[in-house]
Amino acid sequence: MNNKKEIYHFLKHFVEFIIFSIVFYFFLLIICGEIIPTKYLKNLNYNFGSSGFTRERLKEAKTIGNIDILFIGSSHCYRGFDPRIFESYGLKTFNLGSSSQSPIQTYYLLKKYLSNLKPKLIIYEVYPGPFTGDGIESALDIISNDENDLNYLKMAISLNHVKVYNTLFYSIFKNILKNFPDEQTKNKYDNYIGFGYVERKNCFYSDDSELQEKNLELNEKQKSYFIKTINLLKQNNIKYLLIEVPVTKDFYSKYRKKEDFDSWISNYGEHIDFNKLTILNDSLDFYDANHLNQSGVEKFNLELLLKIKNKNLF
Amino acid sequence: MPGSALAIGTIFFAFQIYGDFSGYSDIAIGLAKLFGFSLMQNFAFPYFSRDIAEFWRRWHISLSTWFRDYVYIPLGGSKNGTAKSIRNTLIIFLVSGFWHGANWTFLVWGFINALLFIPLLISDKNRKNIEIIKPSFNFRGIYEIIKMFATFLITCFAWIFFRAENLNHALKIVSRIFSKSLFTEFHFPISNDINLILIILTFFISIEWIGRKRKYGIEWVQNIKHRYLRWGFYAFILFLIGMYMQTKETPFIYFQF
Repeated sequence: MNNKKEIYHFLKHFVEFIIFSIVFYFFLLIICGEIIPTKYLKNLNYNFGSSGFTRERLKEAKTIGNIDILFIGSSHCYRGFDPRIFESYGLKTFNLGSSSQSPIQTYYLLKKYLSNLKPKLIIYEVYPGPFTGDGIESALDIISNDENDLNYLKMAISLNHVKVYNTLFYSIFKNILKNFPDEQTKNKYDNYIGFGYVERKNCFYSDDSELQEKNLELNEKQKSYFIKTINLLKQNNIKYLLIEVPVTKDFYSKYRKKEDFDSWISNYGEHIDFNKLTILNDSLDFYDANHLNQSGVEKFNLELLLKIKNKNLF
Repeated sequence: MPGSALAIGTIFFAFQIYGDFSGYSDIAIGLAKLFGFSLMQNFAFPYFSRDIAEFWRRWHISLSTWFRDYVYIPLGGSKNGTAKSIRNTLIIFLVSGFWHGANWTFLVWGFINALLFIPLLISDKNRKNIEIIKPSFNFRGIYEIIKMFATFLITCFAWIFFRAENLNHALKIVSRIFSKSLFTEFHFPISNDINLILIILTFFISIEWIGRKRKYGIEWVQNIKHRYLRWGFYAFILFLIGMYMQTKETPFIYFQF
């Protein structure tokens, strides 16, 4: 009888302590997030208004629907497809790319925005880099700059990383209070044009730094989320193309096991690597080793439009 | 790299290895306690020691007592005259060094500790500081604190050999530290984190200092009568873990031994 009572008291106190700790933890998280400079908060990375204009893009995504083409992928995506060029050919587009976006984020972004945007075609930008990483950086960017919902909670659970949990909770708090700094659509180099696109003009790549080799060992979790994404598109009967946006020849030459990546990804749809198709100049058409400048974007987009036309996708 | 950077790196390593090893010892002790097993204390505030003999009574206690019981005492311990005591001390420190790995660096590390220990043994001062430091606000108290810092620096010197890749590497570090470059200004490679590291270190050293008279640094928390205040402290520790835990997989340093 006494033993039962003791166990009951132990369990009661244990549950009370867990609840108390959770409340206390989040209380401290909010207090620290509000008063301590970010650099002292190692596992709280609330990147509001990141350099990729994620906040503006996701805000705009909620107001747009029935588009012809949705672009999704990494920074190569939101810096690589200019909606103005596509519009001049009568195509309404939106760019849902985000910095270092990995297949995990792509999947959850599509789950959240697909029903609203209703695209006829998806151009899935498949830069190999994020397929090799853990996807944490991109998750923090999205969580910090969007209204969090069950999809992002699921994303956090799938990543299971303390930085993601801390940032998710803090971001929920910020969203409740609507306590945001002023939004900006311009910075020193970049200009947020709208429809998700970020333009960089008059910046040119100079190959003065040594590039490191990139071994394309794909992360198993990213591979499985990529497959889930493809299945999601198929379930929704949405046509898609898997596109690689050009990078400089310097950068491309540093990939290792690229053939393995190409052969694996080709199993899941039509994969077009524009590094092989376009003739771009490393010094004139890029602003760094792996991002196109506006001049490069214009050349590349015209080639892509030609491909789309030849394939009778519109 | 200038001597100043290497000296600071050595001091940080002293805290790193203490946090790493003492931390996972505490994890083992705590987990065992949950299952009803009482494991022995493995660290007893070693960096508050006032001489190297005290340090070795407070550092890696399980290994030290094992060596004492199964090597030092069977060899005769300190009962057969000074010469044999010195020989036995030298043996256990060299064996202890060798236990850490078949590398000259570990043997030299053991030898340095023996060299620091033997003078205390000869002068019969090796058991002078049994109780934990309790400095008072007088000359004697200040002297105790100075001895504590001196012992810490000597320990750090020995850690250079423990950490170095090989003997040549260790000697290079030592020669750099004891050169003019010890006073050279340098840019900390992780400049964003240096203040954070110092704040966290100060916090943990303070907690250890406050709790040093007990077996474990935060044992006094158990005596806080108000339940929510006590829980608040535990929850604060959980928060520190959540906010500052290492998020990349980093194996414990001592797992290699």
